[in-house]
Amino acid sequence: MKPARGQLKTGFDSVRGAKWRNFWTMLGIIIGVSSVITVVGIGQGIKNQISGQINYLGKDLITIRPSSLRTGGDQSLDTYNVLSGLSITGSLQDKDVQAVSKAPGVRASAPLSAISTTVKSEKGQYKKGLVIGTSASLPNLLNQPLEFGTFLDPDDPGARAAVLGKAAAEAMFESDVPLGFTFSINGQDFIVRGIFDQFKNTPLSDEANFNTAIFIPYDVSQELTKNSGAIYEILAKPATSSPVDTTIASIKTQLNQTHGNQDNFTVLRQDENIAARSEVLDLLTRLITGVAAISLLVGGIGIMNVMLVSVTERMHEIGIRKAIGATNRQILSQFVIESALLSFVGGIIGVALAFIVNGLLRFFTNLRPDISWQIVLIASGVSLAVGIIFGSVPALKAARKDPIEALRTII
Amino acid sequence: MALIELKDVSKLYGFGDATTLALDEVSVTIERGEFVAVMGPSGCGKSSLMNVIGLLDRPSHGNYKLDGRKVAKLRANRAARVRRDTIGFIFQSYNLLPRLSILENVALPLAYKGVSVKKRIRQASTMLERVGIQNREYFMPSQLSGGQLQCAAIARALVNNPKLIIADEPTGNLDSESSRLVMELLSEIHKTGNTVLFVTHNPELTRYATRVLYMHDGNIIHDEQTAIGQVAATARKVLYTLPTTNEEDDLAGVSALMRARPDVPSVGRKVTRPKSRSTKKAASKRKTSVRRKKADV
Repeated sequence: MKPARGQLKTGFDSVRGAKWRNFWTMLGIIIGVSSVITVVGIGQGIKNQISGQINYLGKDLITIRPSSLRTGGDQSLDTYNVLSGLSITGSLQDKDVQAVSKAPGVRASAPLSAISTTVKSEKGQYKKGLVIGTSASLPNLLNQPLEFGTFLDPDDPGARAAVLGKAAAEAMFESDVPLGFTFSINGQDFIVRGIFDQFKNTPLSDEANFNTAIFIPYDVSQELTKNSGAIYEILAKPATSSPVDTTIASIKTQLNQTHGNQDNFTVLRQDENIAARSEVLDLLTRLITGVAAISLLVGGIGIMNVMLVSVTERMHEIGIRKAIGATNRQILSQFVIESALLSFVGGIIGVALAFIVNGLLRFFTNLRPDISWQIVLIASGVSLAVGIIFGSVPALKAARKDPIEALRTII
Repeated sequence: MALIELKDVSKLYGFGDATTLALDEVSVTIERGEFVAVMGPSGCGKSSLMNVIGLLDRPSHGNYKLDGRKVAKLRANRAARVRRDTIGFIFQSYNLLPRLSILENVALPLAYKGVSVKKRIRQASTMLERVGIQNREYFMPSQLSGGQLQCAAIARALVNNPKLIIADEPTGNLDSESSRLVMELLSEIHKTGNTVLFVTHNPELTRYATRVLYMHDGNIIHDEQTAIGQVAATARKVLYTLPTTNEEDDLAGVSALMRARPDVPSVGRKVTRPKSRSTKKAASKRKTSVRRKKADV
């Protein structure tokens, strides 16, 4: 269609004419588009990291955790009664560690016991991380190599030796590789035996941050706390011959014995664990995207308002255009193109802003947002549609104006 | 076949008691190649007539044939197309779009016709050359004088080769020099065969016209053929017998007189307060006398 070119230029000229007003008009769309893209990108990024974690830890990692046992009274009233009622948190103990390691099909297992202690090193007191009592098979279970040195010696469970997370090592010692250096936990000296490689942490994960942790032998941790240290997690891996499900069943049987059949622990496969997490994440992402989408809608309404004002302001111009032969359709398309252009340019600026925010997030946080081209396309498409839909109301108003009346309007 | 045929055309504005009659069963026929001046006091319906003839407005009653085609009840979009292809408008206040350059302004009607950009620019440029301001084609309207703006507006009106040019007081905002320029331009257009219709208050400008229509209260009260170069006879009469003041000026003069009140000494005002009734009477007497005077007039 030939006239369309002229209309496009006309629309473009009017947009070019009032830069600042148009920027404020576009602001709603800019914020809407960039927030939708950013939120979806963050959600997708976290999901990618989680699935990366599955591959990395191995699908066969089994996690045993204490869980709470709720005695909520009347079961049927549970829904109204969420916050009251007795809740007993189960615990995992020495005998559970033994039980898990002896369960048929378990190749290796390690307890994780966080203890509260005072850590002092050459840089003073270290408060940033946990002290975790564990056993020698931990690196194997987590597929986590050491950067320097070796992990705890399985043959010497009482040794005053420690392995540090990378961030912990940096925070505690001046030296780049503080192997063989000593520091104290509750006044007892420990020798640094190894330093972990950087753990690939996942945001929103409920794992402790191992990068800042200090790992010591489990027995020593019990000694330090006089057997009061709580085990918050036991990790286990099945033997290659044993399927994961069978192993889980056998672990459950073993633990039921030690817990007197009280079901106050959970045994999770890694992939289940992660699937549950990403489901929650999906829901959250959708929710926030919805909110962000509302801001797109509000942006559209902003465009409509500015266009309405602009139509009123330019009534005389509309009159002139009509007098020299513009048809209603030509006036309509001029204004629709103008608002579509506003929202489209707003969308593009919004996409650019989203990429900037993405870069900043990657730089300053451990989030790794993943912006897919689909979401970019959808967001800018929606912004264009919003512009056309909301722009058509003022455009219709302009097109239907009587030429005489429009010509008489003097602002 | 006449270019314009109006038959019993009326135009009403408003509803109910507020109805005003802008055109009262006007019938007029304008042939091709005429150069028609329309004169008359403000509010006599000149502009309404121009709007109806220019298809900017639809008549309330009556028939209108433009170029042999019935256009009285044309729908908005069709009317727009007729305006675009057969009518060129020139306004008193130029009505150029302020954010477009002169060239773009002139090319605008071509854009609505769907002419390609290249052709548009070329034609507009040629037209600007014809009106003598081609050297100003990339200027913005705010950078030009009134006369130049009106020339650009004339170029815009001509760019589509319309059969009819309608100019509503084209010289109303211009000094006499520019007025002459604009009128010369219009008369040149007329010489090339276009029909030109223009509204004016200035009897001098009837020199350019071949025919003068006088309007009053929505009627054409006088229709006179005139030779080019001569001020129309009726217009000359209008020129020399035109009342120098109007009713409003009269009233203002009277109130100014009353304020002066030479017979009431301003010093004695406070003292004469108890006698205010008598002064009021005097005032009312004076008023009645004024009224009587006016009635005499």
